[in-house]
Formats: sequence, C-alpha cells, structure tokens
Amino acid sequence: MLTRRTLTIVAMLALLCAAPLAQVATQSAAGQAPSTKGVVVKGNAPVSSETLKVKLPRPQEADLPNGIHLMVLEDHRLPQINMQLQIRGAGGYYDPADLPGVAGVTASMMMEGTTTRNTRQIAQEQETMASTVSVGASLSSESAALTVFSLADNFDKSLDLAADILLNPAFPEEELARYKTRQRAGLAQLRSNPSFLAQERFARVVYGDHPGSRVMPSLDVIDRTTREALVAFHKAHYVPDQAIVALVGDISFAEARKKIEAKFGGWKKAGVTLPAVQDPPPIGPSKIYLVDRPNSVQTSLIVGTQAINRTSPDYDVVSLLNSIIGGGPTGRLFLNLREDKGWTYGAYSNLSAARYRGVWMASTEIRGDVTEGAVREILNEVDRTRAERIPDKEFLDKKRSLVANFALSLESPAAIMGNYITSRIYNLPADYWDKYPERVMAITQDQVQPAAKKYLEAGRLQIVAVGDAKKIGELLKKFGTVEVYDTEGKIKIGS
Amino acid sequence: MKRPLIRGALWVACIAALVLGATLGAATPPKVQFTDTRLKNGLRAIISEDHTAPVFSIAITYNVGSRNERQGRTGFAHLFEHMMFKGSENVGSGEHFLLIYNNGGDMNGSTSKDRTNYFERLPANQLDLVLFLESDRMRALDINKTNLDNQIGTVSEERKQGVDNQAYGKTMEAIDELAYKNFAYRHSVIGSLDDLRAATVEDVAQFFKTYYAPNNAVLAIVGDVKTADCLARVRKYFESIPQQPAPPDVDMNEPAQTGERRQTIDDPLARLARIDIVYHIPQSLTPDADALSVLSTVLSSGRSSRFYENVVRQKQLSSNVGAGAGESRGPGLFRVAALVNPGKSVADLEKAIYEEIERVKTGPIESWEIDKARNTAQRNFITSLGSSLNRAVMLSQLAVFYNDPGLLNTRWQRLSAITAADVQRVARQYLTPENRTVVITNPKPAAPTTPADHEKGGR
Repeated sequence: MLTRRTLTIVAMLALLCAAPLAQVATQSAAGQAPSTKGVVVKGNAPVSSETLKVKLPRPQEADLPNGIHLMVLEDHRLPQINMQLQIRGAGGYYDPADLPGVAGVTASMMMEGTTTRNTRQIAQEQETMASTVSVGASLSSESAALTVFSLADNFDKSLDLAADILLNPAFPEEELARYKTRQRAGLAQLRSNPSFLAQERFARVVYGDHPGSRVMPSLDVIDRTTREALVAFHKAHYVPDQAIVALVGDISFAEARKKIEAKFGGWKKAGVTLPAVQDPPPIGPSKIYLVDRPNSVQTSLIVGTQAINRTSPDYDVVSLLNSIIGGGPTGRLFLNLREDKGWTYGAYSNLSAARYRGVWMASTEIRGDVTEGAVREILNEVDRTRAERIPDKEFLDKKRSLVANFALSLESPAAIMGNYITSRIYNLPADYWDKYPERVMAITQDQVQPAAKKYLEAGRLQIVAVGDAKKIGELLKKFGTVEVYDTEGKIKIGS
Repeated sequence: MKRPLIRGALWVACIAALVLGATLGAATPPKVQFTDTRLKNGLRAIISEDHTAPVFSIAITYNVGSRNERQGRTGFAHLFEHMMFKGSENVGSGEHFLLIYNNGGDMNGSTSKDRTNYFERLPANQLDLVLFLESDRMRALDINKTNLDNQIGTVSEERKQGVDNQAYGKTMEAIDELAYKNFAYRHSVIGSLDDLRAATVEDVAQFFKTYYAPNNAVLAIVGDVKTADCLARVRKYFESIPQQPAPPDVDMNEPAQTGERRQTIDDPLARLARIDIVYHIPQSLTPDADALSVLSTVLSSGRSSRFYENVVRQKQLSSNVGAGAGESRGPGLFRVAALVNPGKSVADLEKAIYEEIERVKTGPIESWEIDKARNTAQRNFITSLGSSLNRAVMLSQLAVFYNDPGLLNTRWQRLSAITAADVQRVARQYLTPENRTVVITNPKPAAPTTPADHEKGGR
C-alpha cells in the first residue's frame, strides 16, 4: 500500500514552444558567443505543452527501538527486493587520522568471513541463489552501506546472510593478507588510468587534508592495516544509532518491519554521538597542477573549486547553474567544446555536495594541442555565468529539463527511494520532493548570477591536467605557475 | 543464421495491456506483451504498453554494424551514428538532443559489430516529438562536409579516450585482428583514424541510402502509450519514407582455426602485464553458445567462481580473471582476460588458467554451479524488465538479430536446460589449444623519446 500524493509536474506549462525560435548560427559572431553555440535550432518539431500530472509514491517509515530508521517503498511489479542499510558513522570520514582508508578496508573485509561462515561459503551461498549482498564504505563519506539485492523468494535467506556479515564479521588474518595482495594490484592498475589520476589530484587540491580528499587508500595504509584495527573500527562504528534501512520492492511494510526487527532487533544501540562534520578549510587562490603521464595522447582536464553544502538553501540554484554550464549534452561546455569545436568526445560539469562543503568541477578529455584553448574555453564559460544574465529561452529550457526529467525517475522505485534517503540524511523538509518542481521553476536569473559569483569565484578555480608534460607543460605555464606530479602522486616540480 | 521462430510470422499479434507481474506468483517472471506490425515500407513496429509511470521509451535498431564495413572504410558505421545527431531536413544540427533533454528526456545511440541503435526515454506526452525527430532523420538526413569534419574530430577524440590513451586499449583490437580471418569481425567498431579521415560526403550519403532504409530497421516503443493510437502515429510519421533495395548480405564465414595464434604487445601506458585468451565459438542462441554461457558462470562469475577461488584467492596470481562471450550474430569468441599481480609471472598465470579449464573438462561440475547459472539468468531477466528502455532496446534488437522479439520472454529459460555434461562437452570441443588466440601485454617503461608511435599513421 503506497501513500500517494498528487504532484503536478509543472514542466510543460504552456510556457514556450509557441514561438518558433530564431535560427542561431553555428559560428560564433565576434564578441559574445550565442548561448546555443554548436546547435542549429529550426523549431519545426512538435513539442507538447500539456501539463503532466504524476503521483509521487512515498515510502512508509518507522523508528525502531535501537535507533534504526525503517523506510519501505512497496513495488509489486517485479518479484524482487532491494535493501540498503546505511550506517552513519562507519564511512571513511570517520577514519582515524593515522589510518585513512581503514573504513573501506573494514567494509570489504566483512565479506571475507563471519564467525560461522568462511569467505567461500559467503560467496557460494549468495551467488547460488543469484542474490547480491555487499558492504562498502567510500573514503570520503560519513556512512558505510550494506546492500542486499535478491529475488523475493530468496529474501529471507539473503537477509540472514546479510545480518551475519554485519554483526559477526571474523576478519580472518589469512584473508586480510590476500585482500592486501589484490588491493596492491588494483592500485597499480588504477595508476594507469588518466581519469583516476586527475580525480585523485583534484580531490587533494580542493580538500587539502580534509577527508573529502581521499579517493583510494595509499599502499602505506594497506600495508599498515592490521586485523586489530578492523576489529576496533567495526566495534566502534557499526552501530544502529543513526542507521537507515530502506527497502524497495515486492514486500509489504508490515512484513518488512517484522523481518528487520527479527534480524536486527538485537543489534545494540551504542549511545554514542558522532562528532560534528567539519567543512574543509577554505580553498586558496587558483593554481595549476600537471600530472605527468608520459605517452599520453590526450589531456584529461579538470577545472573546479569548492562549492556548496547539500543543506544550503542555495543548493537548487547552484544545481541549476551547474546544469547550465555542463549538465549533459545541452550544457554549454558540451556544445562549445564538442559540437562547435570538435575537440573532445564529451565535456561536462558536476556538482557534488555533502554535509560538508562539496565541489564543483568541469572535466573533459581533449587532444594535447588544444589543451590551452580548452582551459580558456572552460574558464570563459564560467566567467560568462558571472558576467552575463542567462538568456530567457535557455534558462527556461534548463528548468523545464530538470523538472520534466524528474518524471522519468518514477519508473524506478529505487531512484525515488534514493531521493527520500537523501531527505532523511540531510534533514530536508517532509515535502521536499513534492515541492521540487515548483521550487526549480521559481528560480530566477537574478539568483543565478550572484550564485556564480559567490560559489564559482574566478580567483579560486583550480586547474588539474593529466598528460604528457613534454607536450603540454609549456602550454599550461601560460595560466600561471605549474606544480608537476608524477603518476605515483609525488611532486616533481613546484612549491 | 537460422532461428526457430516461436510461431510463424507474427506481423499482427495480440493487443494486450501489459501489467507487469500484478497477478503472478513471486517465482514466475512476468511476461512482456507486445504487438508486432510491418508497415507498408517494411518498417517493423513493436509496441508494448506499460502504464506504471508516465514515461515511455523508444528504440530503433538499424541492421547495420561494423561488420557491414569494407576495407579502407573502417569506423564508418560508428561515424555515421554521430552524423545522425547533426541534423536533418526539419531538425537543425544538435537540435535533436536539445529537444529531447529540454523536454525532460534522455537519449543516446550506440554501434556494435552487429547493429546500430538509437533510443530515447521521455515523459508520456512527448510521443509526437520523438516520432517526428526519428522519422525526419530516417527520411532526410542532412549530410554535409562541415558536420562530417566536426564529427570526425569528435570520434577521433572518442577513439583516443577509449583506446589510444588507455592501458590495454591496443590489446582489445589486436586480439580480434589475430583471432578472426574474416574482415567483418576482424576490425574494431571505432575503426582507424586514417580511414575516418578519408571518409567523404558521398560515402556517407551512400551508406545512409543503403542501410538507413525503413525496411532495414525495427522500431520498438514501450511504456505509457495506447497501442492503437501509438501505431497510428508511427504510421503517420514513418510509413511514407520510401523503401530501398535490401542491403547486400555479409559473408560471415570464419575458417576453422587449426593452431594456436600468439602475439606479445608492449604497452607504455600499462602498469601490470595482462593475458587475453580467446576461443572461437558458435553464434549466440545456439545450444553450444548456451552451454558456453553456463561455462563462463562456472569459471568466472563472482567470488564463488573457479577462477576467483583458485587463481585469484588461493594462488594469488591475479586480482581478477574474467571470462565470457558477448552477444554475437556471427561466429563468436569466448574471451578470458586477466591481469598479472605484481611480482607474479605471466607464464604461471596462463598455466593456472588452463588448469582450471582442464579441470572443467575432466572433473565434476557441482550441482550448485549449474543452479547458480540458471538462477543468475532468471534474476538478470527479471531485473532487466524494470526499465522500459531496456525492454525497447531488446525487443527491437531481437527482432533484427533473430526475427523474434518474443525471445525477450523466453530466452533466459534456455539456460535451464543446460546440464553439467553439456558444459563439459563444449569445454572439450571449443576450449582447446589449437582453437585459441593469446595476446600478452607487457608494460613497457616509458622511453625518453618516442615519436608519436601511438597514433596510427600520426599526422
């Protein structure tokens, strides 16, 4: 039984589309580039202006005595159940300072044996019934997550296995040694990947020593992690006090509650309070970083800065701003760098926000000899959002795009649940998603320009390039002093 | 490719609303209902109602892939996919994706050796929009030099991003070039940059006329539509597009391999050595290909698999050993790929992989391993039904490949019939030394001066 609410997707307000658009030339005229650079609009295609009404399903929720917050979204279309258990406090954000990455190792090692099942039994049991039970913790997040995916028939057995993994991990020494061997190989492999190298350097540049800077554990941490450290981390951090259990699928709320209480009722509340999450230290002035990857035939480029907290009242405005600059193929970056110039396969921007201040970044991979031009174009596109009012048509299109796209998520109950989990984690108002369309449609250009000035400050944009220093090192110097790193992450030239 | 049809021709099948699983028991996967209609110009239109959400998906699969390319024009099918977004008679360059995204949808296209497809997902009220866009480009694509040059630039960066600038990028091309003798599957989908640069507007126009004809395509619409109304609209937009002569058949014959082929590649971008081994196998949807699919589950699916347990966990020779065969309309390949752990030898890893293969041939296969393959197939099928886009893509693709979109509902069950003896039989028959091609990729320390030896025919 779903609690349903009617929500009007205002996307298709009779707004636009009545007036055919003036044709925009592909070549930018001297002076300001047109907002739809790279696109020719003929305006002949029929677009519906009908208002689409949809119902947004809402999960049923309950608080269990040990602190677990239960959320259930029933969906009986397919005989499957998806469960997510988020354990706040068990993510890499809470790693001990001397062992950054241990949360991730703990989560992975929970899969390697319990007091009654060895690693082989854990694997065989779930894979034979085609269920997936896994634990993971990102190095920069507050939470670890245990996920269960199974056909409805096998849910009880899958849940039983999941509870054992969560509550009774054994952390066998022998498996830890093997895990370390695999991790070392995995890390070596990652260092050949230019996107990884760019992400790693960028995270370090924008976050400094803040946990947000962690992308992968270092070899040194892998070497120093002991069984005792894992046992201690698990004991201290895997507590139900602020856990969320979210189920989506072919199960009723009552049934779900009964099963969760039976399996996790005995998981004792620890009564600990988590230390407040801290923002990273403010970002310094713009700088250029080059990761020298000899033999690269492209430059992997990231331009970005610290931006905004997920809980900020400006979040929707900055999201919209991001979408104008580089959200998908209709973003200015894609239209400029790919459709107009043909320099790249893709160019996008991305906003990631957490309880602590997150980042905004633009990224692309271009051929080496246009590295300078690409940096300039990205900086120009950011500058334009500060200097110029977004044209009416483009602004409206972007808002409609965001709101109407929301309808597509209705096809995926897991995506809807994802939204409600976000609301829960960040304490957003109960009607946050019901009001999402009208909130977005109400944003004005007068809010976007100041947001660009405030959050994408010109003097704070950091530039990270991964490529062959012999080919692009000189080009980058035109933007300022360049710090050069090798692919191991060690500094070669610079301060 | 002879495929048993479930029942004869099915140009007009039932009209039934699709209610996924509402009345079915948990263990029974729901059945996707659809109608299947051939328009006067040969375009096949499949429609499947699903009113779960105010959303629909559309997919058009064109019966053309890189296998249809000729020597000197590799990468053409894929380059063409890019041109399909550069405008048509009534749609400006880039306007297609602008309209789809601005109206809340998403879209893409993809090219494989066997087919090219285009797909969109939109709120339910934008059916006319997407039918207009898709029919306009099927009818009258705007092919000009500016767009072509622009997209050759884009594709050449796509090639670098996916192949030339990635560790092991060259390996994937080398192994197919060594394993296949027949040109159709021998060359990569993305093709060579030299060939792309040689493409002319006339080439593109001819390619369009031959392969982008309505009679060479299947359209599928899945979601919040009314079948009769939807079909009427499809007719309105598409039925007047002229039919073309059928494209030439592709010779897919691959001579039997009679001895191991082997090559070693130095890769300056790689950090770890890697082994790739491929074996020739029959096309998909044959009993042997089904048994080989179960074999790939036994060998490499998950941490309970034999490769993981013995080669990765016990012997610690690799961090990951993968195996399996993708969908293939023509002669396929069973692929095994593994990275060598730091400090371990390529030879030891290769030997360990062969030992596991031999153990399948001679030793027992346990019943849980067979259950695992069957249950995995069922789960993957059920999960795939959650997305209307996936259903649309599969319905149109199965119609193009096997003339049978109904395989969407039945295909997964084929694996239920596979026994341990079948798995052993196909392992013995196909996973033999004389039928294999091996490529070893060694990391090469970056030489101080290597003049653009990476770019094929660098300018």
